Amino acid sequence: MENKPLIEVRELTKSFGELQVLRSVSVDIMPGEKVVIIGASGSGKSTLLRCLNCLEDPTGGSIMFEDEDLADPKVDINIHRQKMGMVFQQFNLFNNKTVLQNITLAPVTIRKKKLAQAKRRALFGKCEKPIETKEQILKEENEKAMQLLARIGLEDKANVYPSTLSGGQKQRIAIVRALAMNPKVMLFDEPTSALDPEMVGEVLDLMKQLADEGMTMAIVTHEMGFAREVADRILFMDDGVIAEQGSPEEIFGNPQSERLKAFLAKVLS
Amino acid sequence: MYLEGLGNTLLIALIAALIGIVIGVVMAMVNYINKKTGRLKVLSKICNFYITVVRGTPVVLQLMILYFVVFAFWDNGIMIGAITFGMNSGAYVAEIARSGFESVDDGQMEAGRSLGLSTWQTVRAIIIPQALRNCLPPLFNEFIMLVKETAIVGYVGIYDLGKIPGLIQSRTFDYLFPLLIAALLYLAVVLVLTRILHIIEKRLAKSDRNGGGVGNGK
Repeated sequence: MENKPLIEVRELTKSFGELQVLRSVSVDIMPGEKVVIIGASGSGKSTLLRCLNCLEDPTGGSIMFEDEDLADPKVDINIHRQKMGMVFQQFNLFNNKTVLQNITLAPVTIRKKKLAQAKRRALFGKCEKPIETKEQILKEENEKAMQLLARIGLEDKANVYPSTLSGGQKQRIAIVRALAMNPKVMLFDEPTSALDPEMVGEVLDLMKQLADEGMTMAIVTHEMGFAREVADRILFMDDGVIAEQGSPEEIFGNPQSERLKAFLAKVLS
Repeated sequence: MYLEGLGNTLLIALIAALIGIVIGVVMAMVNYINKKTGRLKVLSKICNFYITVVRGTPVVLQLMILYFVVFAFWDNGIMIGAITFGMNSGAYVAEIARSGFESVDDGQMEAGRSLGLSTWQTVRAIIIPQALRNCLPPLFNEFIMLVKETAIVGYVGIYDLGKIPGLIQSRTFDYLFPLLIAALLYLAVVLVLTRILHIIEKRLAKSDRNGGGVGNGK
């Protein structure tokens, strides 16, 4: 593990109008680290995660990612989001696209745009004419998407629309859709909360595989068993701050604060 | 004569519908992006002002203003009629398209943005196709309304289907049959359009059930 954090959050605050949801959160996420965020609903854990890729604009503080402050409105957030995969509670697959198109849409759109820009620059003699073509991009991304689908055993679903899939299938596709961008970090916002109990396992298994491959992950979840097994570090959020953090052994075996004890008593019973 | 009138009516309605859809969708999009990102504030204000004014005044007056004042130099009555109704219908289409945009789940936009797509890229590839699908039936209804409403262009002397009975009356002094024929022609057109609407609705419902229908059930 390198010593420089991948994401460096400093004194992050977030308010929705009068309501202050995050009050000064500071946390580092190291490359390859699996950070699980737990806490009661309304404690700000989802908001913290959504601030990391600026789906919620932070009210104050800084988020350093690859030497740039994502909280700065002048930074082109789209470029950074391409390296931060996100998985939602409600899956959010694109309803008007097939499974394959869901996976290829973002990489194809973004690569095509880059290609068009490169062509324009080449036209003015500023650089070499790009050698790749749109057809190549499409072919490559389709192949990559099929490999990702093969990995989760859903190649046969490539050309169907999301509405025909089960929740577990949707969520696994949402995960590989994010992976298609080759992200440096994956953010999971309660990925199993909207699933039927029998489908939770397949999604958690895929997440465990990712963890074993060394993916950096930040996960908001209520699955305490999963947290204990996968997490390098657990953050306990309470009332907009990180009330306690530590290894799974410390958090589950030796909770310090009364709030954490009460929370664990509730979720583990 | 009736056929010429009918042709003019349909021509006006068709051009007006195209203009209306362009104006309406653009305005709805501006408002949607404004609501989601807070940008395009001034444009959105202008759009809302336009919608308020157009919806708050009778279309006859709008027609007269455009015909006798704005386009006073231009003698192409059919085009002026089409532009008037296009601008008028644009305000209504904007409202239809707004509800179409709002019916798309917020998560779709978030998913697009989280993958690194820009707002516009997401709107184009994800939001517009879904919104359009949701508001196709009311849009078509608006077109049916348009076909009938265009009878107003007779006020400024354009020969559309609604104007023909008056012309015939002035020659034959027969009131009942010219009006009846015109009414039947309108009815026939509207029935055909309604039929098409039903087919579209059925198609949409079907693809809703099996999620687009492509690649399924093979």
